[in-house]
Amino acid sequence: MLKYGYGGRILRIDLTEHRSQIEELDPSWIKPVIGGRAANTKRLYEALNPDCNPLGPDNILIFGIGPLTGSLLPASAYYTVTAKSPLTGILGDSAAGGQFAAEMKLTGFDQIIITGKADNLLYLMITESGVEFVECPEYAGKTIIETTKAIRKKRKDYSIQVASIGPAGENLVLFASIVSSGNRVNGRTGMGAVMGSKNLKALAVRGSRSLEVADPLAFLSEVEKINKVILDHKEYQKRYQMGTTMLMQDLNNIGILPTKHFQEGICKYVDDISGQKLARTYKVKNKSCFNCNVHCSRYYIAEGCEAEGPEFETLCSFTSRIGNRDLPFALEMNAYLNQMGLDSISTAEVIGWIMECQEKGLVHPDDLDGFSITWGDRDKIREVVDKITFRRGIGDRLANGAKKLSESFSEEAKKLVMQVKGLDMICGDPRGIKAYGLTYAIASRGSDHLRAEPYFELTNRKKEAKKRFGTEKAADRLAEEGKAALVYYSEKIALLTDSLTMCKNIGLCMDILNFEKASVLLKTGTGIDYSAEYLEKILGDSINLDFMLNRRFGVTKEDDTLPERFQKEPLSEGPTKGSTVNIQKMVDEYYKIHKWEK
Amino acid sequence: MIRVDINKCTGCKKCESVCAFFHTGRINNRISRVKVTNLYEIGIDGPVMCIQCEERYCLCCPVDALSIGPLGQVIVSPTLCTLCDACEKACPIGAIEKFKDFVYVCDLCGGYPRCVEACTEGAITYEAGSKKFPSLVTIKKETNKMNPSQKRYFFLNKLCSEIRKKWRRVHA
Repeated sequence: MLKYGYGGRILRIDLTEHRSQIEELDPSWIKPVIGGRAANTKRLYEALNPDCNPLGPDNILIFGIGPLTGSLLPASAYYTVTAKSPLTGILGDSAAGGQFAAEMKLTGFDQIIITGKADNLLYLMITESGVEFVECPEYAGKTIIETTKAIRKKRKDYSIQVASIGPAGENLVLFASIVSSGNRVNGRTGMGAVMGSKNLKALAVRGSRSLEVADPLAFLSEVEKINKVILDHKEYQKRYQMGTTMLMQDLNNIGILPTKHFQEGICKYVDDISGQKLARTYKVKNKSCFNCNVHCSRYYIAEGCEAEGPEFETLCSFTSRIGNRDLPFALEMNAYLNQMGLDSISTAEVIGWIMECQEKGLVHPDDLDGFSITWGDRDKIREVVDKITFRRGIGDRLANGAKKLSESFSEEAKKLVMQVKGLDMICGDPRGIKAYGLTYAIASRGSDHLRAEPYFELTNRKKEAKKRFGTEKAADRLAEEGKAALVYYSEKIALLTDSLTMCKNIGLCMDILNFEKASVLLKTGTGIDYSAEYLEKILGDSINLDFMLNRRFGVTKEDDTLPERFQKEPLSEGPTKGSTVNIQKMVDEYYKIHKWEK
Repeated sequence: MIRVDINKCTGCKKCESVCAFFHTGRINNRISRVKVTNLYEIGIDGPVMCIQCEERYCLCCPVDALSIGPLGQVIVSPTLCTLCDACEKACPIGAIEKFKDFVYVCDLCGGYPRCVEACTEGAITYEAGSKKFPSLVTIKKETNKMNPSQKRYFFLNKLCSEIRKKWRRVHA
């Protein structure tokens, strides 16, 4: 029996039959995966038919949290949603912070496993005693906040936390998101569409079971140490003021801020759209995830709209990436996308790809029902985002994502989709951050930085690099040497943060978490022995499992690559001028370290 | 007494978890004596706990299980309490609430409130020996039929109207 840290139970829900089952979480099953993302992947690996239709009843949707989720450990309130992705056809998952995970912990369920498809739109009310199926046809078309507010009001309990889809998820936009705590987004890989395909509008959680740790005083003392490191961290003030939006200026300074759909790495008007500008002009207060002392999120009011956020990815996606210099417009888009339940990165990729292709004459307006758009055209962006959300007109094709959209166009146009394995690339030009480039190429959910977040390469710690990764070059962002080793290490720490759970901005970027620290936290938190060596081993095993699962979905080594642009076209100006990525070499080295090839 | 500046609250709930942990060694918002509500629709977050009101509505306890301690804190006698809900119903802001076999209300941690220490934002402050207590007469009239969660929600909505006006004046 799992007494400490874990809730110790899993909840299986069959939407077709409106049936559910509560099971004990087997300690020997969970130990080698810890929890969170790694546990979700293992569950998917064991139970999913890899050939299933991602939008069919056989797809398995899993909400998972970890042993330390919702504990006193700062920034520990993350949950991961996992399923086969309708956007990419391979492993899909996405994590979010906010308040949902901590409340889910109090229900005593470490995993909620959802299969089948409901006849009518419903939401699930999950408490410690199980699940209630609540049909809610009246919530169709409602935004995230409307849904959240309606459920709380109806049930007369404002501590209920809700993870919901918006209209985009209901309309099966392939990159629809799930949003909780009003503006906390499980954005990537279209988990919102999977929910929509099951006629599942929302999960509402409200628990009353207490979270206990094995050795409260020892755990508290570890937490106090971590709190101190966070508060004394040299980036604390910056992160407190701007959160991830600090990266607008930081990436521009090194010439890798995606501008005009990755054609440029320097944005001339960055001061108009930066995190500094946002904090100075529109921020009204800081916001925070459960039990975090960085409080890096922000609430803003800008002209007619207000919302929480945006994070860097959304800000960059709706400013420089698509040639928009109007910050309030980007803030309006952030609020709209969050409430409609659309992933900002994939939405911006569709728009940016059309913009570039039309500029180059590769996509004619006639091929898009007469739709044409140029850089930063706000009215057209508004119009197209709305069409995508409701799959109206041309939006119906755009809602399948940039890669699928590009398939009816020329080879040249196809190459301009900034994606790996069907997932649209995040904002950070890999030509100037090579370890990130490798991460995009090998990430098991498609182009993504969070699988490793090798922030280390930006910290300029040469001595440390030599010691940890065998070469000083590992700390040189433009070098390719040592990057496979850096990614090989970082991806384990990234998986560790996703499994404990903890926020990567703190666990990884602020370099708080390592195997030794996690070993102590797990021992004092769960009472289960995890040596640092054992942790390193099981995290490696879990990464192998990701790899094997994707092989079942048909992924091959050829898919571990980057768009041609980054391999062949150097940037024309700035501190990253002239650099391209020799991705094949890094991938080969990475495979060698993993022993994935003979 | 305890004062809350919801202008500064980010909704992290550290006060809530630290309170529960300090009193019981466990974490659960139901057994915390300070409860944070996140009003996602208007960007407001705020902790609600006993503010040692002038009226002391909770003292209506039919078996006198509640008394006022030297710091002005409410003291619940677990042996006298019959879990009848009278105090919970009487409190206008949802600051005292029953859960399972106990009634949870702020006890000021014996004069050293842990929530104050935990809040990195300075949203909760404590002034010992204060003789001026706020009145909840007007709130009381409006929250009479509500449950504690609804009362906290209502109370926060009241508290934030000035803040919201200021935000909109400056930024909208």
